[in-house]
Amino acid sequence: MAVIKTPEKPKAPSRGKSNLQALTAAALILPGLMQAPAYAADEDEVDFQYSHYQEGYRNIYTNVNPTGTFTSSKTPNYLNPIEVDGLHGSSRVHLTDRVKFAFNYTQDTWAGATPIASAPVVSNAASPVSNPVTNAITGASPLLRNTNSNPFYIDKQNNIHSQNYHYDPNTGSSTFTPGAIVNQVTNVLVGASPETRKQSDFKLDYDWDNASVNGGGGYSVENDYDSRFGNLGLRLDFNQKRTSLNAGVSYTNSYTHATLDPFAVTYMAGGPYSFNGSTVNGNTTTRNFYSPQTEGTYHQVTTSLPNRGMIGAQTTTLTGTRQDVAGNLGLTQILTQNAVMDVGTSFTHSTGYLSNPYKAVYVFHANPGQDPSQPLMYSGAGQWEARPHERNQVNGNLGYHYYIEPLNAALHTRYTGAHDDWGINSHTFEADWAQPVGAGWTITPKVRYYSQSAADFYAPYFTTTMSGYDASGNVIYSKALPDYYSSDQRLAGFGALSGGVIVAKQFAKGISLQAGFEYYTHQSALKLGGGSGSEQAFNNFDYWTANAALKINLGALRFNGGSNDSSSTAHHHASHAITPAGIMFDHALDNAGDMMAGYRYMRNEQSGSMLSGTSTASNDTAIAQGCADQTCMMLPSTMTMNMHMLELMVAATDRVTLMLMPQWTDMDMKMNQSEMKRSTTGMGLDMPVMNQQSGGIGDTGLYALIKLFEQHGHQLTLSLGGTAPTGNVSLMQKKNTSNAAIIPLDYSMQLGSGTWDLKPSLTYSGAMEAIIWGAQATGTKRLDKHNESGYALGDIFQSSIWGGYQWNNWLSANVRGIYTWQDSIHGVLKPVVMTDGSTIPYNQFGNYRMPSQFTSNYGGQFVDVGLGINVTVPTGTFAGNTLKFEWLQPVHTDYNGYQLERSGALTATWGVGF
Amino acid sequence: MDKIVLHHLLLVYVLLVLTGCTSVQPWERGNLAKPHMALDPYPLQSGLSQHNYGSREAASAANNSQGGGCGCN
Repeated sequence: MAVIKTPEKPKAPSRGKSNLQALTAAALILPGLMQAPAYAADEDEVDFQYSHYQEGYRNIYTNVNPTGTFTSSKTPNYLNPIEVDGLHGSSRVHLTDRVKFAFNYTQDTWAGATPIASAPVVSNAASPVSNPVTNAITGASPLLRNTNSNPFYIDKQNNIHSQNYHYDPNTGSSTFTPGAIVNQVTNVLVGASPETRKQSDFKLDYDWDNASVNGGGGYSVENDYDSRFGNLGLRLDFNQKRTSLNAGVSYTNSYTHATLDPFAVTYMAGGPYSFNGSTVNGNTTTRNFYSPQTEGTYHQVTTSLPNRGMIGAQTTTLTGTRQDVAGNLGLTQILTQNAVMDVGTSFTHSTGYLSNPYKAVYVFHANPGQDPSQPLMYSGAGQWEARPHERNQVNGNLGYHYYIEPLNAALHTRYTGAHDDWGINSHTFEADWAQPVGAGWTITPKVRYYSQSAADFYAPYFTTTMSGYDASGNVIYSKALPDYYSSDQRLAGFGALSGGVIVAKQFAKGISLQAGFEYYTHQSALKLGGGSGSEQAFNNFDYWTANAALKINLGALRFNGGSNDSSSTAHHHASHAITPAGIMFDHALDNAGDMMAGYRYMRNEQSGSMLSGTSTASNDTAIAQGCADQTCMMLPSTMTMNMHMLELMVAATDRVTLMLMPQWTDMDMKMNQSEMKRSTTGMGLDMPVMNQQSGGIGDTGLYALIKLFEQHGHQLTLSLGGTAPTGNVSLMQKKNTSNAAIIPLDYSMQLGSGTWDLKPSLTYSGAMEAIIWGAQATGTKRLDKHNESGYALGDIFQSSIWGGYQWNNWLSANVRGIYTWQDSIHGVLKPVVMTDGSTIPYNQFGNYRMPSQFTSNYGGQFVDVGLGINVTVPTGTFAGNTLKFEWLQPVHTDYNGYQLERSGALTATWGVGF
Repeated sequence: MDKIVLHHLLLVYVLLVLTGCTSVQPWERGNLAKPHMALDPYPLQSGLSQHNYGSREAASAANNSQGGGCGCN
């Protein structure tokens, strides 16, 4: 925790010190002492940032036929678009005067519907949904619908015609002819349930007076994509630091291992590239695919049906690797007292599997034997996209940064141009205006324009024409499918305009808050030179993004209230006995105006057997009895929950401290399918869901910590407060085809309680010499009978007792015993509303049924033993930093109903005291 | 806007940037040292924006040698 002491009232002896500080501060911004020409002083810093990305609804058009003539119309799209919640934490610290270390952690969770392909409306790839009572079109099913499209015609002028149908009652024959022109193209969407990506990376810098070198690396992991990267960089300063040269190289190796959407797989007519034989190994069939033009296997599609009792559904996995090598060269030049320019270029060479495993194209064929002078009839189906296996991209940028003295404002402008051998050329213009407005506030409006041309192999859909058959019966194409094809709108020609504002407030004591908002619109008509205009307007979409960041400048903290105050800091800390990492609300701050910021991480794991009450239940028993009077179709195999919390405290008075605790939660549950389920669905059908993930903002805590008693090493603290229901409790599983129901994620996968919760706690802690001890009782009372989704989580009571030993001035260890009681869930999740308006209880969908969908399988009584270790750095650069760890080992479990065995929980907290 | 106009605009921009190259002494760099005159005054914000652009545009993704995940959706 970063404890920020209120600066004490000026006393006579400290005057000299303040003056010295002022002088040093002035010296720091004295130009000649700057490390680099245009870099602001880079101090040790810890940052936290939360961001939200929200896309607008994608455009869906459907075929309507109100008067016997086909026409298209934009149709309501009821599928939630892509939404991303992101969390970012970073720290930059100097290990020595010359060595700087930076570490970043990022995670984001996204969910929502996104285009998989696009197709002419008349092909009926996305169909209207009718209300069965009124027969009116109530919305679009923008999802994959037809394995084979409806036939349609394309004439010489490239107009698309719907198909007219005539039945002659006299002859009994049917004839089909081109009908009305309907050129509209529509998106075809797929849904996605929440998935989380996590990335860690670091950078190490070594500085000389006129140069620096740096090296870094990182790892990004998500369910279907891993990426490892490393980079090296160099900076050289010349010319009294008027000029700086930067150079760098980087290497990225990425591995795609996508489980192809089990619904979509059955809707696809073919895969990309040439099939090159398959190998069978036990239950696993591996099919190899070659590029049509180059040697080498670029990706593999593996179908596996593991045969290990409970485990396993058939899955189809696409694997492939890609490598990116990049180099960049840049120059920063001071032009005048008020102007800096930077210019740079970079080159990226990418090879391997560069396609997107979730994007498809529609390919429509004209059969042989048609009259070439008439509109040709087409029909077809979707297939996975295919991109080249190599890409070379070069870009150049030029930035100009100008200080506007009368306004104390900074204008930043930048142009970036890029060209690649896929045929994409792009131009980006950016500008922002950073305007300090007094009292530590800075307002920075920004604007950006981007335009790109389409990739050579992009089209909204593809057509082929067959002219006949050769002697051996193979089709001869007069227009064949090209080697590479994609309908990913990111490869289309378009322009994008975005604008936003950043508001920053610099507080005393080195704390800074930032908030940013940006709106972005993608429009085909905004492309430079017009270009693809109206026929690709179906691609248009927009998004907005908002974020909030907290920056803690460790250097400034030390400067303002830290190092010169170390004697009282030591005293301050000695007065509070160290408590285990898992104990919250343990003490109020000392003096009115004191502030504290801290970070807390908690991880909870369940895996192993199913338990009923206190004993292990066999899978057969759990399947038969875990789902009330029904049979379970799946059982959970692992369940992991991660929580990240920020603790922001301010002492309102000497006795009362207020605490705000925003938190972030992400969860992952893996399931096994029962034998019975497998036999009923058959060998060939892929299971829709074997994994659930979710993540995002959890409930937000607000507390008042009241010092009841504090004397002679004894301390009694009462905490009153609770959580506001900011966590989402209506998350849904994915829906990919027009005939699948949207059903909620389990209770345990929702991000919050959905109710206002009261969380009182009473904590006693004591210390005598090296011995520390304490006890806590805490509870959670749900104040609402049910949340917006129809249920309320069970109340909780928990008590702890601990003892520990302070080995020396930096290390202590503790042991804790914890008893927890939690009630089962009250109420039930709202029933699922089907497209025809009927409702079905959430846990009655055969494919998905599992114990965690039943409210009686929640709660119980638990006993855990906690083992903790606490480290406080006594001296040096990191003086005052405290790290605490505690592992909770379950020793007794008495579950309500059937639940997955508990494995344990880890808590880690970081803080720095001043 | 056709290509030639664009190129002319760029040229004018470059010339504007290059004129006014004077010898700025170290003690004359107070304005340049201000935090909002850093080449990127808000790295947290720009990192986030770049990640969003990179997942929705063809050109931006390749500029990112810092990972960033699949961005497939």
